[in-house]
Amino acid sequence: MVEKITFTINGETRTVEVDSGMMLIDVIRDVLNLTGTKRGCDNATCGTCVVVMNGKAVKSCNTPVNKIAGADILTVEGLARGTELHPIQTAIAESGAVQCGFCTPGIVMELYGLLENKPHASEQELTNALTKHLCRCTGYEPVRDGALIAQKVIQTRQVENA
Amino acid sequence: MKYKYLGKSYIRPDAISKVTGKAVFLDDIRLPGMLHAAILRPQYAHARIVSIDTREAEACPGVVKVITGKGCSYRYGDNIRDLQPMAIEKVRYIGEPVAAVIADTPAHANAALDKIKIEYDPLPVYVDARDAMSDDAVLIHENTEEYWRLPTLKAQHGSNIANVYRLKKGRGEQGFDEADVVVEAEFNYPLGSCAALEPHGSIVWFKEDKTIEIWSSSICPFIIRDDIAHSYGMPVGDVRVHIPEIGGCFGYKSDITVEQTIAWIASFVPGRPVKWVASRKEDFTSTLLAHGIRTVMKIGAKKDGKLVALKTTLYHTGGAYADTAVNVTIAASHNSTGPYEFDHCDLIGYTVYTNTPPVGAYRGYGHPEAQFATERMMDLLARKLNMDRFELRSKNYLKEGKVNALGEMMWKSNGDIQQCADQVRELVFAQPKPKEDDEFFYGRGFAAVMKSPKGAPFSTKGCYIKMNIDGSVSINMGGAEVGQGLRTVVRQIAAEALKIAPERVRVYGEIDTQFSPYEWQTIGSMFTMQGGRAIIRAAEKLIQVLKKTAAQVLRTDEDYLDYDGEFVFLRNDPSIRVPVTQLARGYITDNGITIGDLAQSVSDARLPRYSNPDQNGQGSLGVTYTFGAQAAEIRIEKKTGKIFVDHFASTFDVGQVINPLQIRGSVLGGVTMAIGAALYEVVQFDAEGNILNPQYFQYHIPTYKEAPRQTIQFIETPDPIGAFGARGIGEHSVIGAPPAILNAIYDAIGVDFFEIPVTPEKIKKALESQKEYA
Repeated sequence: MVEKITFTINGETRTVEVDSGMMLIDVIRDVLNLTGTKRGCDNATCGTCVVVMNGKAVKSCNTPVNKIAGADILTVEGLARGTELHPIQTAIAESGAVQCGFCTPGIVMELYGLLENKPHASEQELTNALTKHLCRCTGYEPVRDGALIAQKVIQTRQVENA
Repeated sequence: MKYKYLGKSYIRPDAISKVTGKAVFLDDIRLPGMLHAAILRPQYAHARIVSIDTREAEACPGVVKVITGKGCSYRYGDNIRDLQPMAIEKVRYIGEPVAAVIADTPAHANAALDKIKIEYDPLPVYVDARDAMSDDAVLIHENTEEYWRLPTLKAQHGSNIANVYRLKKGRGEQGFDEADVVVEAEFNYPLGSCAALEPHGSIVWFKEDKTIEIWSSSICPFIIRDDIAHSYGMPVGDVRVHIPEIGGCFGYKSDITVEQTIAWIASFVPGRPVKWVASRKEDFTSTLLAHGIRTVMKIGAKKDGKLVALKTTLYHTGGAYADTAVNVTIAASHNSTGPYEFDHCDLIGYTVYTNTPPVGAYRGYGHPEAQFATERMMDLLARKLNMDRFELRSKNYLKEGKVNALGEMMWKSNGDIQQCADQVRELVFAQPKPKEDDEFFYGRGFAAVMKSPKGAPFSTKGCYIKMNIDGSVSINMGGAEVGQGLRTVVRQIAAEALKIAPERVRVYGEIDTQFSPYEWQTIGSMFTMQGGRAIIRAAEKLIQVLKKTAAQVLRTDEDYLDYDGEFVFLRNDPSIRVPVTQLARGYITDNGITIGDLAQSVSDARLPRYSNPDQNGQGSLGVTYTFGAQAAEIRIEKKTGKIFVDHFASTFDVGQVINPLQIRGSVLGGVTMAIGAALYEVVQFDAEGNILNPQYFQYHIPTYKEAPRQTIQFIETPDPIGAFGARGIGEHSVIGAPPAILNAIYDAIGVDFFEIPVTPEKIKKALESQKEYA
């Protein structure tokens, strides 16, 4: 069944026709052509499809379209301001956490969902978040390094903005 | 030696596009008028196809065409031409393409698949090499004598043995009569998957002008180009292959895999591009699997620990098509010595047809499988000799003056394995291990490793450099970036060779066979070494072009000139000089008349004197080696049998570190993958050949929580072949983890395991039977 839904994505309001059987990832990738969000398993195991919806990191491959009407969605394409990267992107790029890069957008969005809400997230919270993401290249150490660098930058920014 | 741009960490040229989601992978490509394919897989792993009825599927919404293998007259393959794009008379494994639907959307294509009706006549199924080799086994391929194969291969027609490789060194098996002590055991490195995060995919477009354009998640565009041109009888140049970003390879995106199938499907809708991307399940069932090697190993030694003879028999479950497995078997066979010298070797590798997906490359290419056995055997032998395991190994390492199984002499420049071993020993074994407590047993294990490339004599890597008018350069090569970081390596080596800042080296992104220099395929951890050499050669040629023009400008001879990245100048009076910016497009004289060549150059490099095997299976088949040592510190939970790797140490002699951050990342990832192989990963089959765990939630790969703390060190004994002394390291880190961990398990609980993965259930069972025995 085809229906029309309206939501906000990366700050822009969109109204699109979707099939009721679709998942959020299908809307993002196949309707809106925002291909930064990756399809790795389609069964909520690998984390490559994670986006931020209403402030929280969610797996877009198991988020049905009927949940997204009126939602505020952020994908990896919505993080940078022009050529100015988000601190999480900079940290992940510089820490060695990028090899093939296929898991990267999902990890970046997971960290965004965690650290922007909770700049002082504990090590356990960070571990819980990153354990939701599979990476076959890095052995995870550089991902943790990048996450910790990003956390510091976000904490500093919070102090400066206060 | 001091280098200006090597040994320093620069950010990857592709890092920004990857963190912003702008890097384009195969599934991100959308072409005008693009159609989508879905592929039907059989219900049986081995069966004759009696009939196929496609009528109902053809009537489904959005369906453009339904395809079967009927009418396909060619077979393909790089080593043995036993592959076909789609099953014709029979199916040989559970993931084989048997029919396909082309439709306007992936959803429509998938929906119509169920409507294809196929009648099968089932045949006996073999999921293990040993069973398929039995005398009464039904043949999986009936007419193997009709298949083209490389002249160096030896099939056993009329059996399921696709190839037998045999190496004899010294007196072969007779050499055991010199041994005082003999140990023998059988090991199993079962079928696994590279399981990269990006599944395989291809787009193929048969065009109206009779050319073919292809995009694929592959590391061998030139093999795809040549192979498809051959199959369709067209000039090679009329097939154009693009390689976008690749989301991890680890081996199984090498050789030709899914492309021929998608080409066959697309050939039915000329004028329209057809896209297919594997589901996660298909990535397990219908691309290449890994390993599947049983190793029976016998080692003979003198009382003082000197190794004298090695007999290895490898039974390789090669899968339904052996084209991609055969060289894995060969590499596993002749590298089953591990990093040791044996006077006498008898090494046999059987590549066997089975009703499982074809096995192909996996990081390490035969070395992890065989050396898993060797390194367990060295610990067993040390115990039998009542000798220290480090001392036993030291006595036999392949160091200067030793001769390996292939007959190649080792030189000092091949690297210092003793130093690698000493470093790891100091790191992990210097202090006593923790004492057993209420919760845990503790253990430590060691493994020494080596790897050669296993390439092909003609394998080469091309490089094209053009100097731009501002003195910056653009570099084009055919090496596939799969995450390993070769673009960073290109940038740093070119910067060093051309004496310009890395920021002034623009490295290629996409590979396109129309524009990219030829490269056989990006395999064997050889890019830094061969590709780096090609860059140095091209850089030297480029500098020569600049000097030639400058000699005219400065009215002198070329050999009086020097180059420093900014100027070409007279060596005896550097004030007489001309900037490279005035030479890049030739030199424009006062009246506009321009002299000299465009500053561009092309080069390539292959390994020196790499050869085919001789009648003894020996020859110059390695040429370059990287040696290393690895060790694991583990904890076994008594209650659950769970193994925790607390610390893992690696030292490799890599010749020259190009980028410290990146090389550490490579080893971190490799060790983590190999811990997966040791403790969790196995593709499970039932007796009917069904795959029981083709999803990430069933086939567990290591997660963040399971990654150990790692200590990684490098020794730099320069290699004379590699660029600035660098040698290969991409695959090597996966070799030592399984044997080191299994050696550590013995150290912890006194139980020998011969098969991976060692799961908590197996540990618990072992502990319980220990109790009973006590």
